Amino acid sequence: MDLKDIAFKVIVFLFAIFYYLYTLVVSKQVKIMDKTLQDEHNGLIRFVTSLQVTFSLIILIIVLLSIFII
Amino acid sequence: MENNNKKSSAFYSYRLNPQTKFDTQEDGEKVYLLLRSHPFTQIGWILTSIVFIILLFILNFIPQNIFNIGQIFLINLFFVIFILSYIWFHILNWYFNVGIITNKRVIDIDFYAVLYKEITNAQLGRIEDSTVKSGGYIESLFDYGSIFIQTAGTEANVEFIGVPHPSDAVQIINKLMSKKHGP
Repeated sequence: MDLKDIAFKVIVFLFAIFYYLYTLVVSKQVKIMDKTLQDEHNGLIRFVTSLQVTFSLIILIIVLLSIFII
Repeated sequence: MENNNKKSSAFYSYRLNPQTKFDTQEDGEKVYLLLRSHPFTQIGWILTSIVFIILLFILNFIPQNIFNIGQIFLINLFFVIFILSYIWFHILNWYFNVGIITNKRVIDIDFYAVLYKEITNAQLGRIEDSTVKSGGYIESLFDYGSIFIQTAGTEANVEFIGVPHPSDAVQIINKLMSKKHGP
């Protein structure tokens, strides 16, 4: 594995970590916003937000697998 | 309020008698009108998202041999994630930044960049003046504008920026105020 591949994997890993942290922050804020304002489509908003967190976790696992196993 | 000629419209940005609740709602407080920014005011980020999507397609058509197929897949994946997050962030911003008119007060709920929360409210009895500002071709065409509500004393003023049917909203506020004060 050359230096370019290592650099690429490090960047991808950092992106995956930041994305996961970002979705966690957004999910926490959505909980606060949902508590502040209860409107017709809040259920859908909560669902999409939890989907985003799950997706970011899957991405992080895939990236970790690609770095350490594959 | 039932005789107001504008019903709920413009993608939930102008809703009469909504089933909305908010955390500082008092007993017997009824929500008459819920306002969000007019969808046309969101055109900036919608166009930016379209530009990002086009950019993604263009980048994929440029032949390059720096990255292998797996790496190209990951770059595409992160680009798509970035675009979707950008869109979702702006939808959240639009959905939760609202103006509420109840039988007791006028409330402005703002979340700046999703992270910062600011709630301003003005009791109907403390409102001194409400002004509608709407101008230009686009605002006239789509019937949206800004409402500025001035309050007496040290209470903060309330502003609803880029909301649909601003004149009707002010009419509702005035009717509620006259109900409160008497004709």
